[in-house]
Amino acid sequence: MSEAIVVENLKKVYSNGVEAVRGINFSVRYGEIFGFLGPNGAGKSTTIKTVIGLLKPTEGNILLDGFDVCKSPYRARLAKGYASQETSVDDRLTAYENVYLQGKFFKMNDAEIKKRAKEVLEMFGLWERRNDLVETFSGGMMKRLDIAAALIHQPRILFLDEPTLGLDIQTRTAIWEYIRKFKENGMTIFLTTHYLEEADALCDRVAIIDHGKIMALDKPGTLKSQIGGDLITLTFAENSENTKDFLKVAKEKEGVKSVSKMENGIYSIMVERNGDKMIPELFSIASKLNVQIGSVRLKRPTLDDVYMKYTGKTIREAESSRDESRKARMMARRAKR
Amino acid sequence: MKTLIMDSYYVAWRELKKYFRQKTRMIVTVIQPFLWLVLMGNAMSGLTNNPMAAQFLGTGNYLTFMTPGVVLMTIMFSSIFAGTTVVWDRRFGYLDKLLAAPIKRGAIPFGKMFAAAVQGLIQAIIIVIVALLFGVHFKTGLAGIIVILVIAMLLAFILSGFSLALSVKIKTIETLMAVINLFMMPLMFASNALFPINVMPKWLQIIAKLNPITYAIIPMRDLTVRGWTQHVWLYTIIILAIDIVAMMWTNWVFKNATSE
Repeated sequence: MSEAIVVENLKKVYSNGVEAVRGINFSVRYGEIFGFLGPNGAGKSTTIKTVIGLLKPTEGNILLDGFDVCKSPYRARLAKGYASQETSVDDRLTAYENVYLQGKFFKMNDAEIKKRAKEVLEMFGLWERRNDLVETFSGGMMKRLDIAAALIHQPRILFLDEPTLGLDIQTRTAIWEYIRKFKENGMTIFLTTHYLEEADALCDRVAIIDHGKIMALDKPGTLKSQIGGDLITLTFAENSENTKDFLKVAKEKEGVKSVSKMENGIYSIMVERNGDKMIPELFSIASKLNVQIGSVRLKRPTLDDVYMKYTGKTIREAESSRDESRKARMMARRAKR
Repeated sequence: MKTLIMDSYYVAWRELKKYFRQKTRMIVTVIQPFLWLVLMGNAMSGLTNNPMAAQFLGTGNYLTFMTPGVVLMTIMFSSIFAGTTVVWDRRFGYLDKLLAAPIKRGAIPFGKMFAAAVQGLIQAIIIVIVALLFGVHFKTGLAGIIVILVIAMLLAFILSGFSLALSVKIKTIETLMAVINLFMMPLMFASNALFPINVMPKWLQIIAKLNPITYAIIPMRDLTVRGWTQHVWLYTIIILAIDIVAMMWTNWVFKNATSE
């Protein structure tokens, strides 16, 4: 068996009649980082909550590490770790107590917890602060602790729901590094994120869900290449001659889709793929025709373009409202003290 | 069964760790019975100067009559708010974390109910000590005091279970508080915690007899004022039965509400 997660014909209809997920299928291979993207209300959270056993599917089958989430919930839950979007650590407990409790919920004995707690807290740079109450931690430290707690029982599959939401760029980069390390250790990671550069940098494959259906599922590179080619924009140096000849030769080159003139003396050359390899070839043509290129720039399609194509909106629109609700939760956490 | 007990234990462990860290709450726990016994006890002490009233209450010392009521009210005020922990846990994602863990779902309410019962026990012990310092004489001695403490724990279990069952469907603390307050006053006044049932109007007597608080206070008061009456065992068994029903009901409500 090579699939860590198998979702077959998953449907979820809430008691109020809302059809959140409409018969989706996907699988995640062992050792893979799988990104799950989608706008608010697309069915993303419902899918995750159903896969990890927080919600009952209306129809369909879900296997986690080979165990049916509905028929063998206990075994399926044991196989996975879960760090939710809300940073679900108890801020009135110490860092060690949070990790200890999680270990106990996963049926570990004291000796195992002691050993693993040291490993995971050291990995996330929290060992020195293990006896401090979590309410004294920064948001980034809380998030690291949350992920550390999710790893205490060495799960084969780790679910990370928006692991870097609202965090500063330094903490975000650090968490990316941890995620890469988990993959090196053979862990399967199911990741949801609002940051498409994060999905692009980390994920082996991504799925985009909208209106309860999977709209696209593939490697980020493949999805981007389906959007269109790379765009090379260039300008010529002043007094440069033979530019028309240059553009004519360039247009006839294999792989070039179009050449057009834009504003302010800028020309755009659309190529099917591998724009970076095309640039030296363009310089070579320019050299032969004694044309001097003033500047050159390469723009490749991003995952944002892919997301836009399949959902009809940019992910930033959803992000601002999500950040607002996160801030409200943080305020409530502080008000509780 | 063993898994359920162990899971409940660690849920309770978490609640109690936090309880013991709340210094202000601990201080208030000690101060509150002093206030009740000193203020209310002194204000009403003239009542027992009347021989008829003393005979009616079963004791010449109003403080003695009142002590079981103070135990009960303190437990009521603390355990009825157990549901707030579920609302917070849901809000910060901890409830999802618990539900996603390989623990028995019933362990979540049972652990929280057990924690509330332990907190209730601690408060009851403090009240009993304060009452002894104020000269209250418990007719059944140490054995009776132990039974009073057990009943106090059982009552805390019922009320926290009721609160937890309410909280699973309620999303905000404000709403939960409003709903709890709706039940608090009728629970307290429609019982014989503060005044004997016999002096109540008939309609209120009927409500008081349906109120579980009454079944806790009667054996507690008998153990304090009268001795080992048959009410002690009968009503303790009734309270125990209500506990079992409360556990089953809370578990059922919790299981249904968290597994849509």
